[in-house]
Amino acid sequence: MEIALPPTQLLAEAIASPAAIALTSACAIGAAGLALLMQPGKKGLRIAGTVIALAGFAMLLVEVIKRASAGEDGATTSIPPVFPVIFSFIALAGAVRMVTHPKPVFAALYFILVVIATAGMFLLLGAEFMAFSLIIVYAGAILITYMFVLMLAQQSPVAGVGDAWYDRVPREAVSAVVVGFVILATLSDAYFSARTQTQLADARANGESAAIERAWERLEGMPKLLLETARTAHEDQWRAAQREVAAGTTAATMPEIVSIEQKADGSALRRIEGGVSVSAKLADGSTISVAIPDALRPDNSRQVGVDLVSKFPAGLEIAGVVLLMALFGAVILARKQIELGEDERRGLAGMRRITVDGEAGGMR
Amino acid sequence: MTDNPILLADTGAATINVALLMSALLFVIGLVGFLSRRNMILMFLCTELMFQAAALAMIAFGKVHGDLSGQVFVIFILTVAAAEAALALGLVVLLYRRRETLDSEAWSELREA
Repeated sequence: MEIALPPTQLLAEAIASPAAIALTSACAIGAAGLALLMQPGKKGLRIAGTVIALAGFAMLLVEVIKRASAGEDGATTSIPPVFPVIFSFIALAGAVRMVTHPKPVFAALYFILVVIATAGMFLLLGAEFMAFSLIIVYAGAILITYMFVLMLAQQSPVAGVGDAWYDRVPREAVSAVVVGFVILATLSDAYFSARTQTQLADARANGESAAIERAWERLEGMPKLLLETARTAHEDQWRAAQREVAAGTTAATMPEIVSIEQKADGSALRRIEGGVSVSAKLADGSTISVAIPDALRPDNSRQVGVDLVSKFPAGLEIAGVVLLMALFGAVILARKQIELGEDERRGLAGMRRITVDGEAGGMR
Repeated sequence: MTDNPILLADTGAATINVALLMSALLFVIGLVGFLSRRNMILMFLCTELMFQAAALAMIAFGKVHGDLSGQVFVIFILTVAAAEAALALGLVVLLYRRRETLDSEAWSELREA
């Protein structure tokens, strides 16, 4: 396997190849833009930062899309991914604004924008159920909790001072951006190196057919449902198959289905024009084939549901317990009354003075 | 695997790559925000951003392999995020009541040395 290359060789390859340099420099430009964007109260710097960050993002996009078409061997002329680019732009703009905005409530609202754009991306990736549950759970429930606490805990703005000092001035902005840049360079090199792109292309080639097979395999536990679906869809074909199998009996009796045959070569499940053909074994030992159109394939939410309860039942139970414990924990935490002692009150007064001093220092 | 031609048409290697890039960038921006924000609530909000990035990467790789386990894991991510939001916000409210500020530096005496 190629993975067995010694790390030094991998490192040399990662650093020395011109493609890696292009990717890393695009990351660096974006990071520089973000660092400029985080400077509080300097409008010129922030405009320059916006321009630089946009340039870095555009360079990254171009580089990444170029690599995708290189991984496909040019067999398919890939159309430029318009919607993904739009969604990722919205999400990243929202995320940057969320990190830099001086008003916490606005930052939370920008996070909702990020959630919606991510949900759009999920839709493009064929995860409809997760897209909508993301909007419902994140934008609907979690973010409302955040907004609630933000408004509960926000100090009333003093007239003339504006936003709190600690919201306006970032802590160690440059070091944070440098850390971010290192991680981004590593991640993007891992994702978009030629080796990974080839692996992804291979996986995609196998994945398309594997997904269809697996979607039907998953229904193996419920042949009744499958055959019922097939029957309602293909009444005539079903009747013909039934007559063929059980000649002499009336067509009103439904033969019992024992199992859906799965042979190693996948012969029981064949891809046909506009659908798949499934072979099912009946109680009397004979088999029938039913063609099921693609339109009747289980949809995303049903597939995810079957996957969830069949592959991860323990995880599902634990998730329920975790949520219940979090509920109890939050109630117990919130019920706790805090009685500030005399010392703490004095300390608090000192803290306030320090904060005011810091504020004055931060403004200059 | 959608059957919607409009949605299906776009899902090429380029879409996967853009999704992966978006997830890496979102994660990094969340990390930068977590390191540089002083407001405790916003620090937790930045971790939510990192959760989103992880979820996006899971779904993108699940799409690559034609496997739904990635999407199932996003359900667990949502669970953890919800639990985290409830507990962390409860804690933040407690901390706020003690110091009457959301500034994380108000608690810097907890650090070493």
